Amino acid sequence: MIVAPYSFRLALQSLVGEKWINLLSVFTIASGLLVIGIAFFAAYNIDAATRKLPEKFAMILYLDDAITRDKVDAILAGLKKKPEVAQVRYIGKDEAMKELKSLLKNANYVFEGLDENPLPDSIEVRLRQEAVNPDQVRKLTDEITRLKGVREIDYGEKFLTALHSLKSGVRTVGLSIIMIIATGIIFVCYSTVKILFYRRTEEIETFKLLGATKFFIRAPFIIEGGVIGMAGGLASLGGILILNYAVIARLGTAVPLLATLLFPLNLFLLLPLVGLFLGVTGAMIAIGRLRY
Amino acid sequence: MIRFTNVTKDYENQTALRDITFVVEKGEMAFITGPSGSGKTTLLKLIYSAERPDQGTISVAGFDLDQLKESSIPLLRRHIGVVFQDFRLLANRNIFDNVAMALRIRNMPEREIKTKVYETLKAVNLRHKSDSFPRSLSGGEQQRVVIARAMVADPTVLLADEPTGNLDADTAEGVVRTFKDINARGTTMLIATHNRELYRNTGRKVIRLEAGALVSVVQG
Repeated sequence: MIVAPYSFRLALQSLVGEKWINLLSVFTIASGLLVIGIAFFAAYNIDAATRKLPEKFAMILYLDDAITRDKVDAILAGLKKKPEVAQVRYIGKDEAMKELKSLLKNANYVFEGLDENPLPDSIEVRLRQEAVNPDQVRKLTDEITRLKGVREIDYGEKFLTALHSLKSGVRTVGLSIIMIIATGIIFVCYSTVKILFYRRTEEIETFKLLGATKFFIRAPFIIEGGVIGMAGGLASLGGILILNYAVIARLGTAVPLLATLLFPLNLFLLLPLVGLFLGVTGAMIAIGRLRY
Repeated sequence: MIRFTNVTKDYENQTALRDITFVVEKGEMAFITGPSGSGKTTLLKLIYSAERPDQGTISVAGFDLDQLKESSIPLLRRHIGVVFQDFRLLANRNIFDNVAMALRIRNMPEREIKTKVYETLKAVNLRHKSDSFPRSLSGGEQQRVVIARAMVADPTVLLADEPTGNLDADTAEGVVRTFKDINARGTTMLIATHNRELYRNTGRKVIRLEAGALVSVVQG
């Protein structure tokens, strides 16, 4: 079906003719999308802040004192074959002591009285970014624990679980907010289009009697719903930009954490498109439910 | 062109039309007459499928209306021009746009629409009123706008419901002349009226209804 230019003209005439209803709808949709935008903004920054953390994540395998070099090489070879593993490094007990001394160079007194090196040989395992999640790490830990020669594994379970919970929590809350507000926006568009439709009942009846198809009658309302939704998206984008530059950028000098926040460029496309989609959806539901 | 066969239409226990059978041939100009409430408007509504018959069959411009799907009704209506009794002009659009509407729903290019609408408005002597709005026009002028809208798309059938109901004798005569011109171009016409002057001594077919029943088909 081709939407005739006249359908756009009818939509434009209605947008201008019913400007107060339409402006009110745009404002309501913009408010909803502003909340969605802020949720996205927060999720984006939490994600950006935690994105580098998995790269720093490492498992340390402490080896038995009596382990032979051949056995260590076998364990290293076995670990390298695992798809989750990005990098392995053997740390002999002497090297471990050297690293510890360098780390505690201002507190050398702790090493006084040590006759022999108490540190065990170890293997540092770094995982691929996508493998750094509690379930996969736990599974890998179980596999490694079964290897002979490995005494203990340290992988910061609490940190990993907390990180994972934070991310999934943000995702769940964000999605819930988005779903609730998106439903609200669809309802606003639905109601607006329904009101506009009823205000033009006489005109629509005449169109029908002259031979207009359902598509000809529906198209202007769907266009109008889309325009209202998109305008709401653009207005909410303006709101977020104002918040970002007028509030966050200004307070950034006083609160350094705010200065580290990033503005997600995706919002420039996302908000108008989400507005358009929700506007068209609301209009289609409204027009589809009407009997005419 | 228009064929009614044993058509009956009821409205909630009240019979509007009962066992109606008649034919209007292609290119013919016929009249339906009868007192108020005799079923003239219902009969016209059945022709452009604003109402469906309860019994019987109707054929219009090659469409069998009893088998017509809802999605095909717009196609039928594009073959029919209707001069409504209540005009149905859109108050917020000027005369040009009111007439052009019949072409815009057919997705005709704007340039062609402009040419056709001005030609048609000229034919009904309203070219100079194209920018006016309906409420600024007299009853006779509004009637001619409705006729222009009905004929602008060159329909094969033209229906008119009490086209001279609110007009003085001179204006009514002008409207009849316009109808004769349209009919002379080959358009089949059916005019519902209770004004005898419209069909007296015309030699045209006159279908007379009374209380929903067809009582006679005679030459006027």
